[in-house]
Amino acid sequence: MLSFLALLLFNAFIASASASSDYSEHLLLRPLPQKALLASFNFRSNESSTAFEQQNFRYFPRSLGQILQHAGTKELHLRFSLGRWDAENWGQRPWNGAREGGTGVELWAWVEAQNEEEAFARWLTLTNALSGLFCASLNFIDATKTIRPVMSFPPEGDHQNPSQLHLLHGTLPHEVVCTENLTPFLKLLPCKGKAGISSLLDGHKLFDASWQTMAVDVRPVCEEDGECTLETEQTVDMVLDIDRSKRPRDNPIPRPLPIEEIECDTSKGYSAQDTCYPIHKTSEPAFSLSGIYGRSLKGACPLTDESSENSYTVCINTPPERIIHVNTTGQYAESTSENHAMRCYKLPVGADFDLVLPEQQMTTRLVLAQPPLYAARHINGHGQEHGSVQAVITNPSSTDAVEFVYLESLPWFMKPYIHTLQARVNSSPENPIRETYYRPAVDRQRGTHLELRMVIPAASTLTLTYDFEKAILRYTEYPPDANRGFDAAPAIIRLISPESLDKKGIYLRTTSLLLPLPTPDFSMPYNVIILTSTVIALGFGNIFNLLVRRFVGADEVQGMGPGGLKGIIRGKVERLKARFLTKKKTA
Amino acid sequence: MALLSTVLALRRDPRILKVPPYLSLLCILGGIAWLLVLPLNEYSRSTYVSENALLPGQVHTYFTGSEHNIFRAYRHEVASQVEKSPQERNNHLGDILRSNNLRVATQNYEYHASGRNISNQNVYAVLQGPRADATEAIVLIAAWNNMAGEINHSGVALVLTLARYFKRWSLWSKDIIFLISGDSTSGPQAWVDAYHDSHSPDNVESLSIKSGALQGAVAVDYPAGPWGHRYDKLHIVYDGVNGQLPNLDLFNTAVNIASGQMGIGCTLQRMWKHDDKYQDRLTTMLRGMISQGLGHASGPHSSFIPYHVDAITLQTVGDGWHDEMSLGRTVESLFRSLNNLLEHFHQSFFFYLLMQANRFVSIGTYLPSAMVIAVNFSITSIALWVASGRSTSMPKLASPSKSPKDKKENPPTTVVRRNGDISIVPTAAIEITERPLFLPLAFVLSTHFLGLLPLYIFNNTPKPSLFLAYSLAMSMTSVLPFLTAALLHILRGPTEQETTLIQCFSLLFLGMFLAALATLNFSLSFLVGIAASPLSFVRGLYPAPKGEVEGFATRNRGAISVVGSLLLAALNPVIVIKVATLYWGIDVVDILVKAAEGWHVWGLWTQVVVWLAWWPAWFAGSVVMWSGLFT
Repeated sequence: MLSFLALLLFNAFIASASASSDYSEHLLLRPLPQKALLASFNFRSNESSTAFEQQNFRYFPRSLGQILQHAGTKELHLRFSLGRWDAENWGQRPWNGAREGGTGVELWAWVEAQNEEEAFARWLTLTNALSGLFCASLNFIDATKTIRPVMSFPPEGDHQNPSQLHLLHGTLPHEVVCTENLTPFLKLLPCKGKAGISSLLDGHKLFDASWQTMAVDVRPVCEEDGECTLETEQTVDMVLDIDRSKRPRDNPIPRPLPIEEIECDTSKGYSAQDTCYPIHKTSEPAFSLSGIYGRSLKGACPLTDESSENSYTVCINTPPERIIHVNTTGQYAESTSENHAMRCYKLPVGADFDLVLPEQQMTTRLVLAQPPLYAARHINGHGQEHGSVQAVITNPSSTDAVEFVYLESLPWFMKPYIHTLQARVNSSPENPIRETYYRPAVDRQRGTHLELRMVIPAASTLTLTYDFEKAILRYTEYPPDANRGFDAAPAIIRLISPESLDKKGIYLRTTSLLLPLPTPDFSMPYNVIILTSTVIALGFGNIFNLLVRRFVGADEVQGMGPGGLKGIIRGKVERLKARFLTKKKTA
Repeated sequence: MALLSTVLALRRDPRILKVPPYLSLLCILGGIAWLLVLPLNEYSRSTYVSENALLPGQVHTYFTGSEHNIFRAYRHEVASQVEKSPQERNNHLGDILRSNNLRVATQNYEYHASGRNISNQNVYAVLQGPRADATEAIVLIAAWNNMAGEINHSGVALVLTLARYFKRWSLWSKDIIFLISGDSTSGPQAWVDAYHDSHSPDNVESLSIKSGALQGAVAVDYPAGPWGHRYDKLHIVYDGVNGQLPNLDLFNTAVNIASGQMGIGCTLQRMWKHDDKYQDRLTTMLRGMISQGLGHASGPHSSFIPYHVDAITLQTVGDGWHDEMSLGRTVESLFRSLNNLLEHFHQSFFFYLLMQANRFVSIGTYLPSAMVIAVNFSITSIALWVASGRSTSMPKLASPSKSPKDKKENPPTTVVRRNGDISIVPTAAIEITERPLFLPLAFVLSTHFLGLLPLYIFNNTPKPSLFLAYSLAMSMTSVLPFLTAALLHILRGPTEQETTLIQCFSLLFLGMFLAALATLNFSLSFLVGIAASPLSFVRGLYPAPKGEVEGFATRNRGAISVVGSLLLAALNPVIVIKVATLYWGIDVVDILVKAAEGWHVWGLWTQVVVWLAWWPAWFAGSVVMWSGLFT
């Protein structure tokens, strides 16, 4: 049994090394239980603050840099996420959850401004600009979706004038992350997906993952001597289903295998030619980098520092007994950590690189770190009027209590009753809530913002419930898919103790919620309009006719003869008669 | 103006009171006739899929080949668990699901109804959709025991095989929950209650794993044993608890896929033979109405519908050539369609009557028939109210012409002067008649409260004493109207006006209630309306006022009251239920046990309608009828 310590060392090693060089990239692969594979891409570049202010961009992407300067943004965190992290099987989240977001898009930034109004105006500038840059609907983060968290997000960077910084946070839980977000993401990288580990990133495979998150983080890092650098970190984490990813792109359909290729349990009494109980395979599945990504790793990105330890770009975290073949025509180097659980490779330049792992029956397994908390959140109840939210947070540790901040950002049409807010811990009658920050919603102007600081004793489960009322929206406020329901953003949990080793913090997020609101039958107004128009036309028309027309008897009208052909002829005759008669008279 | 004054004048006309009984009769006959024409082509419509996103039958299905071998193995595994306890069985089924990398959990439940102990265990697994974000889920159910009590061998095996097969696909945009419930009615109910957290923790265990909002549920009922059985048709069961129905789009999708894509015939309401003639359509519709009217759970899907989760059960029937794989492919295609849904089912009808797998009538077409029947009670009630306010000493217009020579003393008259006009009118015409409301209101209210007594007794009596309770109720309720009428006579001797008002209020309540009920459960409202329709014609017979000629009815009022009451006794809800059970050859105790289970487990409301609306109306009518004997 191997410890997870290697990974912690790896993280610390990245952190220490990063300050020295200007650009580095890392890929960590870790096979997870149930035929899953965690692939964690990390790209990091530094730019000195003075160079940044003079718009002298080297590794820092110019497009992003100018947006940040224009919007007065000192620190930026942007997340695109899809799917769920299965903490029970996969253990602790990569980066302790600090580099992931809730389902959809999440953005928070420290904006420099004199007052709140200016901060919000700059925030709108920022969201609109980023919306264009990342092809995401970030411009829909308006006042109703923006909150100003108090306890959940301390600044990650070192700031000179913290008093003028404003933290703003917005989420779009229904935003579907897809390839159009990946392309601009890759364009920010110095090697732009042409070389280095980013050459593996392919939209088809990335968005077929069971869980994936893309993150952009910009923060100032200051040395003790006062010299500051602006650090940009781009992260892509994904959990691939190995079986699914190995399927070729031209034949992605999981057709039933021919019976010869299925291993049957012949010890079953009924086993026969046409009856096959499939054996549950316990061996680790075979995979190769090019197989699961559908493209090959095009060698190292030439901008990475070649000499330092940082040049060992691709790391794989497996028990030492796992056989790994390296498939490349170029020069590469391998290094192993002390307990051999981590193998790292220095990529060749200009030559393809591939790792091939054959199927193997393992005797040892990697011990995955236990997550500090498990969290799940659901909507209870049914009907059009009320509902309740229940969050279940479990502390699996048998020794340590966990203190954390629970942040809930609800849309304004979901109106929580705070008097019904209840937190219970199954092991003690004590109220686990230590501190509450609550900013109620204002209809159509801002959403609810709720932060709770809570403590869970060791080996306990905390159940947090509150009731809410569903507002009735105006007719035009419904989206086109009104009957789908409305998404409520995931709750964010930040751990206060145990404390994180770095400034990034330890986070986890619940899944988002689907809130069904009372929805009118949208065709009904048209029916009503048509019906009332018809009734009014008939009723009004008749009465109007009666009112404005004067009805007189036919005999009362002078000179009103019979109509039609007869009338015309008679008229002609009369006219002729009159002419002749007058002529006669004059004659 | 002239028209208005004529109408107002007509209000006082004694002839106006002769119309309502005929109007009521017309309403009843019209309501029945309306229903009878519905199966005609001109009044029903062909079904169609309204939600474009569903695209039924547009996908290729791949559930074949080696999956069949695995299915057979799983069916043997299921057969090996038949003798085991629910816990052992679910451990084994859970292991099979777990070996396919699904998250598995179990749920215990224990209900008590009619002294019985309904306890079992559900096992379920959640497939987290690769394209899903835990906000939506669809459910595939196989109950361990089907409605007939047979073990659902192939159904459970099919769910296990499909779980393994579905796991490989990456296109699921919703989570899929595979539920193997302990039984067909209480198990799914316990599960769906706990899923929405509206369960009582004493009876039902909370769910440890949940997913998003449920969008649809499909149950599979295929009880063929370990050696299989080829079936002929799919029987689609769609009735929910309390007569609620799933969205018609779900039913249509299932029919479209089964018959269009797979070539499996579809049938409904146990119509094994249906040649699409008028008579078959009518029978299907009536069976559907009875099932809807009873409101009982008709399969594992029924419990989902009250939570606005559209659900159906696919049941295999007959001997034919379709095998388990074609059922599996039907379910696969159905789930692909459900997976396509962008919004919750809302496009198509929630209120409909089906008369064939692809013919239906919607609420706009059928609702008038129940409404017209409900209106007949309101009409009679208004007529009785008018009659009760009319002076009894009003001279009859017809009487002088009938016997002109018969010198009668003239009725008292009054001279009325207004705006310089003078007229002589009978005093009775301008007399204000007061209506004493206390006795009628108190009687009608207490009658309705009296209904709580049998409601409580039948829902809480243990099974062995239920037959006794029913027989007692039958005899008691038959005699009670006579005794009540006698008691009222002895204590108070209600006047004709009071008796009329009792009947008026009772019918008013019944009419309004049935009209409201028709919008919720059309069939129940219609059936109760038909069974109670003779109450519109019940009158308390009193001797004619002094000086009037006694008609045939008033002269023989004693005899008519007795005959009428005895006829009415046959319409006693308790007797009607007994006769119905005899007709269909079911034990009445079974019905009562099911009803009690429905009350305690499914949240069934039918008995409330019977005991708090239908029975009090019948009781009041019977008392009014009997009271004629004592005048």
